[in-house]
Amino acid sequence: MSKSPQPDVLGQVLAQREAVAARLAQIKHVVAVMSGKGGVGKSALTANLAAALAMQGRTVGVLDADLHGASAAAMLGARGQPVVVNPEGARPAVGVADIRVMSMDLFLTGDDSPVTWHHPGGLAADTFVWRGTMEANILREFLADTAWGRLDNLLIDMPPGADRFETLLRLVPNLSGALVVTIPSQVSHLVVRRAIAAARQSGARLLGLVENMAGLTDGEVTRELFPDGQGPAFAAEVGMPYLGRVPFDPELARTTDAGRPFVLEHSDTPAGRAILSLAETLEKILEQK
Amino acid sequence: MKFICNDCQEVMAFVDNTPATDGGSLTISYTCPACGRTISMVTNPGETQVVRSLGVTIGHEALGSASPAPMAMIREALAGQDATTTAATGPEPVWTEAALKRLSAAPSFVQGMVHRLYTDYAQQKGYTEITPAIMNEARDALGMTGM
Repeated sequence: MSKSPQPDVLGQVLAQREAVAARLAQIKHVVAVMSGKGGVGKSALTANLAAALAMQGRTVGVLDADLHGASAAAMLGARGQPVVVNPEGARPAVGVADIRVMSMDLFLTGDDSPVTWHHPGGLAADTFVWRGTMEANILREFLADTAWGRLDNLLIDMPPGADRFETLLRLVPNLSGALVVTIPSQVSHLVVRRAIAAARQSGARLLGLVENMAGLTDGEVTRELFPDGQGPAFAAEVGMPYLGRVPFDPELARTTDAGRPFVLEHSDTPAGRAILSLAETLEKILEQK
Repeated sequence: MKFICNDCQEVMAFVDNTPATDGGSLTISYTCPACGRTISMVTNPGETQVVRSLGVTIGHEALGSASPAPMAMIREALAGQDATTTAATGPEPVWTEAALKRLSAAPSFVQGMVHRLYTDYAQQKGYTEITPAIMNEARDALGMTGM
């Protein structure tokens, strides 16, 4: 009996990591936007931050790592563009302000298409293990196979929860850092505190804390939404720089839902100025590394 | 994992592997280099799929195969669930001056996106250049307004 060569599984895994590193070598800063808590407006903030960076002349990409709650393509006006695959990689969609976008949403044709995976073995057993590994590798494939080209900033919109962040760190060991988003509520602080602790244990560089929905704006007037919100004190408690507060503007929800991040057309409003200021602060922090 | 031939106390050598027809399990054969005895183990289908979910190829599919195509795993995993992935075809069409002038009238923050959408449309239709008339056609086909 002739001996067949063994499939080199370890070699393939190492090659995958090299492919991620090679692709990201063209990107100056890779920043994760995370929270741990859902519903804090992290994706809308990511879209607006990306737009603000683009307004400042940066070449920006957004990777939507929230496979089951993908929204970046919609918020950046990039829905409906098919993912074009060439041997060199998959071309990202181009959204407003020329922001390049990769998202699970771009792979699905209809609004009613669920994200469910075809299981090759047709097995129910071990599905949760298989699913977790599978989704981690889809994130890896997004990173390695998207032909971003040269970017100044790649923002990664993380899903709620802390577990996927650890996966990201394994794939991108030289991650520039993570922005942590909270809202000024005690419950949010509780959940975000745990996510920060988990991220810290993973060895991530935490760039700072952003307080979203910090007040409700009506023109130039901002009134508080959460009476107990004390963002600077919370940031100090968890040992992170406080990068600022972004008030909620109803127009921000409307425009971002329509695929035109608020900051593009409303930069001279309290929320718009806060987002632009956050982008400037982020750039300064990244340049300091 | 290694296997020892009890009679010879030799480490058995990997010989071959064969995927099961349902794609869920794998048969792996080893032989004793001293006495030639051969054994085969059959993997649990779930275990095989967990290894596959690493995005690697195993069994005969791995032997001599080239690097996987971009996004191969996600496309396979979404098979039959409305995955939409198309390959680029033909040369990129050229924008005429009149078309570029009209594009420049759009808000600056959407120009790149519109450029991409209309270029893709023209390419898929096999047009070699993009004119205002083709922009009208694309606008109607894509359901866009004001571009």
